[in-house]
Amino acid sequence: MDKKTGVYICTGCGIGDALDADALSNLATSEFKVASCKLSPILCSAEGLSLMRQDIDGAGIDTLVIAACSPRVMTDAFTFELDKVVERVNLREQVAWCHPAGDEDTQMLAEDQLRMGITKANEMQPLTPFEAEDMSKRILVVGGGLTGMTAAVEAAKAGYEAVLVEKAGELGGYLKDVLKLPPSRPPYEELQENTLATLAEAVAGNPKITVYTGAQVASIAGAPCLFDVQVQQNGSQVSERVGAIVMATGAVPYEAAKLAHLGYGTSPDVITASQLELMFKAANVTRPSNGQPVSSVAFILCAGSRDPEHLPYCSAACCVESLKQAKYFKEANPDTPVYIFYKDMRAHGHYELLYKQLQKDGVFFVRGKITGVEDDGSGSLVVAADDELTRSPMMSESVDLVVLANGMVSTSALGEPFKAQAPKEGEEEAEVPTDTILVSNILNLQYRQGPELPALKYGFPDSHFICFPYESRRTGIYPAGTVRAPMDYAAAVEDGTGAALKAIQCVEMVSQGKAVHPRAGDMSYPEFFMQRCTQCKRCTEECPFGAINEDEKANPIPNPTRCRRCGVCMGACPERIISFKNYSVAMIGNVIKSINVPDEYDEKPRLIVLACENDAYPALDMAGIRRLNYNAWMRIIPVRCLGSMNLVWIADALSKGIDGILLLGCKHGDDYQCHFIKGSELANIRMTKIQETLNRLRLESERVGLEQLSIADYSRLPEILDAFASKVEALGPNPYKGF
Amino acid sequence: MEPKAVSLEMREYIVEMGAETVNWCMQCGLCTNLCPWRLVPGETSESFNIRHMQRLGQMGMEGFEDEMVLFACSTCSMCQTNCPRGVKIVDNVRGMRASIVGGGMVPANLRPILGSAHANGNPWSGARENRTAWQEGLNIPQFGPDTEYFLFVCCHSCYDPRSTKVAKSIAKLLQHAGVSFGVIGAEESCCGESMRKLGDEELFQKLAQSNIELFNGKGVKKIITTSPHCLWTFKNEYPEMGGEWEVIHYTELLSQLLNEGKLAFPKDLGKNVAFHDPCYLGRHSGIYDAPRQLLGSIQGVEAVELGRHRELSLCCAGGGGRIWAEVPMGERFGELRVTDAIDRGASVLTTSCPYCLNMLTDACSSLEKQEVLEINELSEMLAAALP
Repeated sequence: MDKKTGVYICTGCGIGDALDADALSNLATSEFKVASCKLSPILCSAEGLSLMRQDIDGAGIDTLVIAACSPRVMTDAFTFELDKVVERVNLREQVAWCHPAGDEDTQMLAEDQLRMGITKANEMQPLTPFEAEDMSKRILVVGGGLTGMTAAVEAAKAGYEAVLVEKAGELGGYLKDVLKLPPSRPPYEELQENTLATLAEAVAGNPKITVYTGAQVASIAGAPCLFDVQVQQNGSQVSERVGAIVMATGAVPYEAAKLAHLGYGTSPDVITASQLELMFKAANVTRPSNGQPVSSVAFILCAGSRDPEHLPYCSAACCVESLKQAKYFKEANPDTPVYIFYKDMRAHGHYELLYKQLQKDGVFFVRGKITGVEDDGSGSLVVAADDELTRSPMMSESVDLVVLANGMVSTSALGEPFKAQAPKEGEEEAEVPTDTILVSNILNLQYRQGPELPALKYGFPDSHFICFPYESRRTGIYPAGTVRAPMDYAAAVEDGTGAALKAIQCVEMVSQGKAVHPRAGDMSYPEFFMQRCTQCKRCTEECPFGAINEDEKANPIPNPTRCRRCGVCMGACPERIISFKNYSVAMIGNVIKSINVPDEYDEKPRLIVLACENDAYPALDMAGIRRLNYNAWMRIIPVRCLGSMNLVWIADALSKGIDGILLLGCKHGDDYQCHFIKGSELANIRMTKIQETLNRLRLESERVGLEQLSIADYSRLPEILDAFASKVEALGPNPYKGF
Repeated sequence: MEPKAVSLEMREYIVEMGAETVNWCMQCGLCTNLCPWRLVPGETSESFNIRHMQRLGQMGMEGFEDEMVLFACSTCSMCQTNCPRGVKIVDNVRGMRASIVGGGMVPANLRPILGSAHANGNPWSGARENRTAWQEGLNIPQFGPDTEYFLFVCCHSCYDPRSTKVAKSIAKLLQHAGVSFGVIGAEESCCGESMRKLGDEELFQKLAQSNIELFNGKGVKKIITTSPHCLWTFKNEYPEMGGEWEVIHYTELLSQLLNEGKLAFPKDLGKNVAFHDPCYLGRHSGIYDAPRQLLGSIQGVEAVELGRHRELSLCCAGGGGRIWAEVPMGERFGELRVTDAIDRGASVLTTSCPYCLNMLTDACSSLEKQEVLEINELSEMLAAALP
C-alpha cells in the first residue's frame, strides 16, 4: 500500500519564534517529497485541525506527521481514525522551549527531529486491535473471605458476572470465627457486630455470582478475557471461562510454636489471638490450664511481627485486634486488669479513638521489649518487660492468661520456590534475574515462567507499592486483601472493591483489543515472524509478565491479552523477529539513520538519547516546560521501555557516525520504578554486551552511557545531558563519520 | 536494676485523688517538651519530666513522690492546652500531689504556708484582722445589700507591701468609674487555689466552704477578683461546692467601662510597655484582649509584644505553689521574661496578676536590671494615667 504522508507544522506556543518553520517545510517537501506540508499558527485549533481533515478527506492523506507539542499532550485533538498513522514530532517542549531561539543548533535539532518523525511515520502501519473468539468479561474471585466476597458483590453490582471459589465448606474466611469488629463508625469507641452473615447472604443470593465452596482452582490456562479455569470440587472438575481474576486468599496466623520465648508451648495459658477469639465466639473464656474463668489478662503485641527472627514486617491489623479483644474483657467486667505490651501502638486513623477509649477503660499499656513470660509460683503468669517509658525493667501483676498477637503470613508465601527449567547442556546461561515464584497452590497458572504470581520480599505478590496497587506481574490478575499485604477488615473491604474495579477495567479494555496497564488503551501488540525464530527462549525468559508461553519445541506462543506492550521481547530477540506495527527494531534503526550527521570538521557532535517513555521522556518535557537549557546536539528518541532497546541500534548509531548514546531509564532494583518491572535492569545487563560491540569497532566504552532517573529528577537533566555531551566531546569525533 | 512493680491499687488511689485523666496519656512527650522547665538549666529541670511523672502515675509505680519531681510543676497549662489527648495534666499533677500530701507527707518548706492558711485564712502568715490594712485612708466601701460587686482582693495584695499597691489602684479605678462595689474584710479567707494545687485537698475544702458560706450569707451575686488565680477557682472549682456567682477579673470589667466611656487614661506616660500574660488569666481563662486593650488606651504607651505571648506566653513560675519555692538564680523563668522584655526595647514590663508581679520583680532584681526595666501591675499604670 502506498502511503500518502502529510506534515503539519505548528508555529504556536513559541515554536515559530524559535525556529524557521519555512525551512522545516522545505525539508519535508524537498528531502522527503511528502504529499502535503502545511503550517498553522495554532494547529490544535479548529482551523488547524480542519487543515488536516481537509487533507485526509480531500487529498487522501493517510499518514500524518504532526510537528508541534509533545505527544504527551493534546492527545484528544490529534487522534484520527484507526486506519490513519499518526506520528508526533516534539518541537515545543524538547526543541523550542529548551534551546536558544534562532540558533543554528536549535534549527538543526528541529530538522533532525522532523526527519526522524517522517522516517518513522513512513514505516508505521495502521493498528488493528487484537481480537479473539469467546472473550469473557466474567470475573473469577479466588477466596471467599471478606475481601473476596466484597470483590464478587462489587463486580456484580457493576453488572459483571463473578465466579467465586472458596476452599472451605462455607464462605466467610477468617471472619467466620470472629465475634465482633473494631469500630468503623462514630464515635469509634464501641465494638460493632460482625456483619459477615449479611455479606454471605448477599453473595449467595446474587444471581450474577456463581459460588463454589469446598473447591479449589486446579489450573488456569489462557490469558485475560480468555482464561480457562478448572475448578476442582468434590472430586470432579468444572471448567469456567473468565476474563480477569481477583486473588483474595488471605493470610494465616504466624506459627505460634515458634514463639517459645513468649511462653507459647511452656504454659497452656499462653494462647494466640485467634484462639482467644474462638473462646469469645463460643462464649466460654476460660484458662486452658484449669478451666477457671479468666480474671486478668495480658496481650503481647508484635508476637513475631517486626522481629527479624520471625516476620520482619508489621502485620498491620493486630494492634487494633488486640484493642478489640481487650475491649471484650472490659465489656464483660470493667474491673478486669488488662495489660497490653506493645512496640508501637499502630491504631491509625479513627482507631486512635478506640485506643483512647481503652486507655480510659484503664488498660495498662506498656511499651517495651518483653523479657519474660513466667509462672508466678502460684500457677498464674507474670510478664516482665523493659519499659521504655519509665526507662526501667518492670513486671506486671499476676495474670491468668497471656494472649499473643501473632501476626499474619500471606497465603501466597506458603510454598517452595518454583525452579525455572534448567537450561540444557551447552545452552547459554540466562543472565536475566529470575522472579521469585512460590508454589503456593492458589492459582496454578499454566504459564511458562511458573504457576503463581511473582513475589516480592516476604512472599507477598508484587504490586507496585507506590504507583500501582493491586497490579501483579500477571496482567488481569489482581491480588487483594491480606494475601497482598497485611491489613485490617476495613482496608480489606476497600481492597476487594478496588481489585474488582481493576478486573472490570481489564475485561473492558482487553475485549476492545486495548492494553490495560500501564499503556492503557494501546492497540498495538507484538507480532512474531516465526520463520526466523531460533527457539533461543530469550523472549519467553525475559518477558516481565510471563506473557509468552512455549510449545514443546520451544517456539514462543504469544498471548497478546497478557501483554503490556513494553517491547522487552523486541529488545531481547537476537533475530529481530518481534515487531509492533508502530514500533520495531528496523523502524528505530532507520530513525537513527535518518539523523543528519555533519562531518568531523564541522565540530558538531551528534548524540542520541534513548528515553524511556514512562519517566525520562516526561522529565525531558518537564525540563522544557521549566525552560531549562541543555545541549542541542542531543536527538531524543522515545522508547517504550529501556528493556525494548535492541543492541543493534547502538551498532547502527555508531557506524553511522553518531558520537555518543545515552540511555535514560527508570530506577531498578528492589524498590524499582520501572513500569515494566525489569526493563531498565535488562537494559543494564545488555549494556555489558555493548562493550563487545564497542571493542570490535575500536570505540571507547564511554560513548554509551546509562542513567536512571524518575520524573521528579527533571531539574537534574541539563546537568546529566551536558556532562555526557562534554565527556563525549572530549573523546573526539566518532571515526566512523562519513563512512 | 530491680524491676518496678505495677500497682493497680496505687493507680486507682491516684485517680481517686484527682488524676482522673492520667490513663488517657499516650506518652507522646509533647508535654515534656513544651514545659518551661526545658528552658532553664539545673537539677529540677533535669529531674522533672512531666511525661515520665504521669507514666509512673498511670502504672502506679513508685518514684513520682520525690519532692523535686512532684512539686516542680507551676501548673502553667502550656502542656495541657496543647495535649493531643486532652489529658487534664494539671489535675493529674494535683491528684498525684494529693495522694502524697493527703497522707500527711508535706514538704518541709510548705508546712508554714499551709499552716498559716489553716490558722489565719491566708498563706502569708498575716493576722486575719490585718487583711484590711491596705484600705487605710481610702474610704473603701463595705459590701452591703445594695452593692453590685463584691471586690475580692487576693491575700497577696492584702499582705505583701508591694502588692497592696495593686489593691489600692484597682479600688481607685473602680471608684473613679463609679462602680458600685464593696469589700467584706477580715472574714474573707484565701481562695485556696494554690493550696489545692499543692495537694492539700482538705485545706482547700475548708477555705472554700468558709468563703462560700460567707459570700452567700452576705448576698454576693457578682465578684471582681484582683488575681486571675482567685478568678479561676471561683469560676471553675467553687460552683460544684455551692459557690455560684458571676465572677469577673478586674481587667475585664475595666475594659467594659472603657468601652462604655466611663473610663479614660489621658495622662501621657510616654513608655514602651510589654505585657506579660498571666497563665491563669490567659491559657486557663482565655482572657488576652482585655488587658491589651486597656494598655493600648493609655496615652503615650507604646505596646511591645514579648517573644512568647498570648497562648504561648511563658510562665512566671509562681503558680501551682511555686511562689513559695526556693529556686537558684539562673533557673527562674521570670529571668527569661525580663531579658526578653529588655531585648525588645521595653522600659516597663507589666502584668495583671499579683504572683506574676512578685516573680517578675524578683527576677528583675536578681538580674540587677531595675534601672533598665520597671516591673509593675497594669492597674498601677492605669491609675496613674487617670485624668
